[in-house]
Amino acid sequence: MAKPTITTLSLCVAILFGAAACGPSLVIQNVDFAQPLESVLTPDSENQVHDQRYAIKFSISGILEKEGADSVDEIRLIRSSAGYYFVTAHGFNNVYVFETEESELKLKRIIEITRNGIGQPAFNQRSTHIELIDRATGDTYNLDHVGRR
Amino acid sequence: MKKTMKTTFSTIVALLFVTSATLYAQQSDYQIQQDFRANHAELTERINAATSTDELSDISIDIDALEADYSEYSSLINAAVYPDTFSGMVRDLRNRYNATSVNLTALEQANERIDDLMAQVDDFRNRLAEMDEEIADLKQQIDRSSANERRQAALIRQYRQNVEQRDTFVTDVLEQLMSRYQEVDSATQDEIAAALERMSDNPIELLKTIIAEYTNMADQDSGLETPDFVRMRAQHGYFSDVWNRIGDRLANTFAPDNPVQARQEVTDMLAAWLASIDNKLWNALTTSFNQNGIELPPFTSASTFNNALNQYVDNAIEVSRESNSEEDYQVYRNFANYWNNTVKAQWGELLVNGGILSTSDMAAIDVKLNEWGENATPTSNLMFILFLISLAVIIGLVVLLVTKKS
Repeated sequence: MAKPTITTLSLCVAILFGAAACGPSLVIQNVDFAQPLESVLTPDSENQVHDQRYAIKFSISGILEKEGADSVDEIRLIRSSAGYYFVTAHGFNNVYVFETEESELKLKRIIEITRNGIGQPAFNQRSTHIELIDRATGDTYNLDHVGRR
Repeated sequence: MKKTMKTTFSTIVALLFVTSATLYAQQSDYQIQQDFRANHAELTERINAATSTDELSDISIDIDALEADYSEYSSLINAAVYPDTFSGMVRDLRNRYNATSVNLTALEQANERIDDLMAQVDDFRNRLAEMDEEIADLKQQIDRSSANERRQAALIRQYRQNVEQRDTFVTDVLEQLMSRYQEVDSATQDEIAAALERMSDNPIELLKTIIAEYTNMADQDSGLETPDFVRMRAQHGYFSDVWNRIGDRLANTFAPDNPVQARQEVTDMLAAWLASIDNKLWNALTTSFNQNGIELPPFTSASTFNNALNQYVDNAIEVSRESNSEEDYQVYRNFANYWNNTVKAQWGELLVNGGILSTSDMAAIDVKLNEWGENATPTSNLMFILFLISLAVIIGLVVLLVTKKS
C-alpha cells in the first residue's frame, strides 16, 4: 500500500521538477542599476511623482504618512547600484529604502538620519554606497540598503 | 623646537585636507550639474545678447573658466546631460561664440563702412555747399560790377574756373560712388538698408542736391558762353552715364521701400537739368558761329545742330563749285579755321561727351570740308594766258614764214 503511494509521490515530484526545468531560467548577474544623479521630483496634487528621465512614476502618499508630513515641495530619489531606491525630502527624519516588485515599491528599510529633519538633503551616487548630504548642516551620511555604514 | 614646528605644519596640512575633503563631500552632484547647466545657459544668453566684440572677449574668458571649473565633473555632467556631453556643450558654446564673433565683427565692419559713407557724404555736401556759396558770391559780384567791364570780365573768368572746379569735384564724387556701388552685392545692400535710419543723408539725396544746383546754375545768366554750356552738357552726359550704371543699385540700397520712385525722381531731375542746359546751349552755339561769320540754319537739338552744320557745308560746296571765287575761298578758310581751331580743338571732347556731336559726325564734316576746300580753291588763269600767247607767237611765226616765202 505504502509503496505505490511513494512511487506516485516520486512521480509527481519528478513531473514538477521537469515542468520547472522547462520554464525561463536565465539570470543575469552583476547588473548595475546605479542612477548617476539623484532625481529631484515635484509631486502633483495627488502626490504622484514622475521621473521622465529614469521612467518611474509612483505615489508618495505612503511615505508622507510614515513621515507624518502632509506634503513636500519636492522629493529626492536615487537608485543604488544594487537596484534599491532611496527616497527622502526636506524636513524628513528618515531615508526610505525600497526594493522593486512587480508594479510595486516595497519598503526595505527606514534609515533614521536625524530627529530634527534634514535641512537640505541631496543624494550622491558613490561606487560602493549612496551618499546623503545635508547641505544645511554640512553633515554627510553613507548609506546602503542595509542602513548607515 | 624643529620637531614641534614640523608637527604643527603637518597638523595644519591635515586640517586643510580634511576641510577640503569635507567641502568636496558636501557638494551635491545634482547641484553641480544644475550649476553647470545654469552657467552654460547664462553664457549662451550672454553670447546671444552680445552687441560688441569687446563684450565677447570677456565671455571667451568665462567659457575657459567654465570648462576648467567643471572638467573634473565631466563624467557626472555627461550622465546628467545625456545625450549631450560636457565637452559637447562647451564646444557648442565655443561654436556659438565663434559664430557670434564673426557676425559681430562683420557688423562692426559694416558699421564702420556706414560711418565712413556718412562722413564721406557729409564731406561732399559741405564741400559742395562751400563751392556753391563761392559761385553764388561771384555771381552777385558779376551782377554788381556791370559798370566796370574789365572787372566783370575778370569775375566771369573766376566764376568759370569755380564752375570747372565744381565739375571736377562732382566728377570725383561720381567716380567714388561708381567704384563703391557699381559692384555692390546684395549683402552690402542689406547692411546699408539696415543702417538707413541712422543716416542723416545718403548718396541719392546728395545727387539730387548736385543736380538741383546744376540746373539752377544753368538757368542763371552769369555771363557764361558756349564752351561753358558745352562743358555742362558733357557733365550732364557723364552724370547720366553714371546714373544709368549705378542708379538701380543706389535706389535699391538707399530707397529700398520705393526704389522705382527714387530712380524716377533723379531721372526727372536729370531731364530738367538737360532742358535748362539746352535752353541756353543752342542759342549760345548759334551766337558763337554767327560771331565768327558763320550763319548756320536754325537748330534746337543735337541732331538739328549736326544737320545745320552739314547743310551749311553742303551749300557752301555747291556754291564753290559754281562760282569758285576768292570770296568763296575766304568763306571756306574762315569756316575751316573756326571748325578746326575752336570747335574741334577746344570743344571736341566736350561735344562728344555731351552727346552734341559724335566723332563720326565730326569726321563726316571733315570729309565734306576737304571737298569744299578742293572746290573753293580759285583756279589760276596764267596757264591759259601763256597758252594764248604761245598760240599767238606760233601763228605769228607761221604768218611770217608764209609772207617771206611769197
